[in-house]
Amino acid sequence: MRSVRLAVRLAWCNLRRRPTQAVLLLLTLTLATAMFGAGMALYGSADRPWDRVWAATDGFHVSAAYYRDRDVDRADVDLDAARARFAELAAAPEVRAVGGPWTHLYGLLDVDGGSEDLTAEIRDAGRSAVDQPLVTAGSWLSAGSDGVVLEQGLADALELGPGDTISVQGHEVAVRGVAMTVSRGRFPLSRPAQIWVTPATGETFRRIGLTEEGMEMQLRLNDPDDADAFAAAHRDIEAIGETSILSLETWRQRRTDSHSDIDILAGTLFAAGVLVGLLTVATAAVIVAGRMAAQTRQIGTLKAVGVTPRQVVLALLVENLALAGLATLVGLGAGRVVAPRLAEASQTVLGQPETPALTWGRVAIVAGVAAAVVVLATVRPAVRGLRHSTVRSLASGARPPRRPGHMARWVATPGLPLVGVLGLRSAWRRPGRLLTNAVGLSLAVAMIVVAAGLRPSLARLDAAGAASASPGEALSTGAVDTLYEQVRAIVLGTAGLLLVLATINALIIAALAARDSARNHATLRAVGATPRQTMAMLVVSQLGASLLAVALGLPLGLGLWSVMDGGDLPPVPVPTTTLVAIAAIVPLVFAALVTLPARRWAHQPPARALTYE
Amino acid sequence: MSAAGARPIVEARGLTRTYSANGVPLRAVDGVDLAVEAGETVSVMGPSGCGKSTLLHLLGGLERPDAGEIVLDGRRVDRLSETAWSVVRRRTIGFVFQSFNLVDELTALENVELPALLVGASGRRARRRAVELLEQLDVADRRHHLPDRLSGGERQRVALARALINDPLLILADEPTGNLDSRATGEILRLFADLRSSGQSLLVVTHDARVASTADRLLSMRDGAVVGHTHLGGVSPVGSVLAGLADFGDAEGAR
Repeated sequence: MRSVRLAVRLAWCNLRRRPTQAVLLLLTLTLATAMFGAGMALYGSADRPWDRVWAATDGFHVSAAYYRDRDVDRADVDLDAARARFAELAAAPEVRAVGGPWTHLYGLLDVDGGSEDLTAEIRDAGRSAVDQPLVTAGSWLSAGSDGVVLEQGLADALELGPGDTISVQGHEVAVRGVAMTVSRGRFPLSRPAQIWVTPATGETFRRIGLTEEGMEMQLRLNDPDDADAFAAAHRDIEAIGETSILSLETWRQRRTDSHSDIDILAGTLFAAGVLVGLLTVATAAVIVAGRMAAQTRQIGTLKAVGVTPRQVVLALLVENLALAGLATLVGLGAGRVVAPRLAEASQTVLGQPETPALTWGRVAIVAGVAAAVVVLATVRPAVRGLRHSTVRSLASGARPPRRPGHMARWVATPGLPLVGVLGLRSAWRRPGRLLTNAVGLSLAVAMIVVAAGLRPSLARLDAAGAASASPGEALSTGAVDTLYEQVRAIVLGTAGLLLVLATINALIIAALAARDSARNHATLRAVGATPRQTMAMLVVSQLGASLLAVALGLPLGLGLWSVMDGGDLPPVPVPTTTLVAIAAIVPLVFAALVTLPARRWAHQPPARALTYE
Repeated sequence: MSAAGARPIVEARGLTRTYSANGVPLRAVDGVDLAVEAGETVSVMGPSGCGKSTLLHLLGGLERPDAGEIVLDGRRVDRLSETAWSVVRRRTIGFVFQSFNLVDELTALENVELPALLVGASGRRARRRAVELLEQLDVADRRHHLPDRLSGGERQRVALARALINDPLLILADEPTGNLDSRATGEILRLFADLRSSGQSLLVVTHDARVASTADRLLSMRDGAVVGHTHLGGVSPVGSVLAGLADFGDAEGAR
């Protein structure tokens, strides 16, 4: 207990002494947790509204649907056969109530700029025992009236309501009401567009050329939890042929599939969170490693007053876990602020989206991600701290030469300037630091590759969307673009974020490398090296890390991209020219970044670095 | 301060350096006048924080004065750029520090040959001279070791070899025995005595009276200013002091 108290005090002192590092780590951690938090808050935010509509409409437990190819005279399963199978299903003892079967007519809705595929479901005027659509405006169908009821999504897309008229294949018909139901998803992500009509209106539609394309029947069982078993037991009714299809679907399947856009957005946020989280591991590892190298003096003092290596490592863990805890809180809070705004733009939610309750499980997942990031970053110094003496474990000593040094001989080699040799020697003698920096940078390189792959992929997504638009999708194509816009915004935002984080990562590495070598460079200045020479040495010593980072980061980025582009994004290989450009530009940019802190040290008189030990 | 007729290797006039401590100006070096003749050894003594290390850093261009002049080998250098100071240091000044300040990624031999390579010596020549110096300073058998594998005395001998490799006009030594035990202190003092007898100019900052007493002249500092000036030549026989230190070191080593 005393150890923990001491560790907490040490951690608090460290946080106060190094606020910039703490803020940087907190910032990157929070970005990752916020993305996870938003993804979680978004995921499931359409479930409650769906449940409400399902309850209010006496929603189905099992839905049976039959559709046939309109262009053939005789389908694999004809309408009469389908009716017979429906009747058999409705007679099952588990069935408590039946809605339908309702005939579906196919036609074209006239809209600005063309037409939209339309299904007109023929309903009786009275209330159905199952799947009675919930009227949100106007009124339901009535006998003796030829008006139609629009599905909510269609009404929103057309910006029409009761009293307005729509035109179906040139025939104008009045809108009586607007309604929603779980048996039909919202237009435009659920197509074709849906309206409900009376049998009389259906006859009119037949006369103007609408064709019968199928029918649906909705069943309520004695127990909704039996839906899966019921569907499984009646799979023999299903028939999937070349010209017709008869299938069963349970309410749970429909509920899961009912908000595809939210699932895509949540999935994109999760993927972004994983990528940002990976980069955060690198940033945290570099910060922790840099601190270890700089903390030798303090650790020595602590050891002198009796602090054990275990306590020092514990302090480091406490400090980083505290930051992870804070990042979890901020991330979850930010996620819950952002998620409703994304969900409100959803085109599938039935009514107002509701952010699901924050369960301990969800908190644990986000906290686990943050904790994993800092523990991964701390594990190496922690293991070293536990295995070796304090100073040995925390001081990053140079690697002793295996053979006599050949610096002078190398310098005598034409084309190898002294600063280059010194820089290479410095990098070679500190392989651990070289590797840490290289791994940190390699994740940044990988993220740049992913970001580079996202751009052509999104362009192809746009092109694919435009190419697939058919004459019967004049209204829905534009609306579906809205979803693509949202995904594009998240993806491009993530790519930009990754680039910013990669740059911050490189800057931290550069600053720590410059600080780390300040004393050696001050010594070199004392024996006659110029500021420019010491700067060049630092750049050369870090170039090795950036070259190694490119060698590791390019395949890693390509691997990550190959995993990503198998999902919702169309597969587009990252162009070779882009990879070559990344391989060439990253070391140059990193060299330029290294010179920023190096310049600051190089132009200071060396006395301060020499006298401070 | 300089003796009539002899040109000083380094001369400081009205040298001032002020720091700010919590907004309060603190004069670390306060109008110091100083000169070191060719072949002369000058010690600067004083309590901790009196400004003696800052004075040494100013004379070597490791820090910039706020006021005053520094003339090195007849050339005014206090307004030189950082780069120009580096070039001057290469050929003119050798530094020895209390904390050794060896480049920890370079072996002892590489540390010593570094200043020679910086002035453009060939690799072979730099190596030959470095080995020669390390042999003279009795540390040649440790030349392929990194600094952290060397004892304090060995490190300081390597640092001294590094300071000497370009045959500088002046050696500036900042508490050269401050981190050494008595035996190593005796060895270093013996080397300094050898340097002095070979005509090397030395300015040694120390708070150790035994070290200070080996000089030709002793300057005392307090609160940034030189407050005393003593000629020691012949007053304190260096040989007897060193012999005493060596005896003490032997006794320590025998325990």
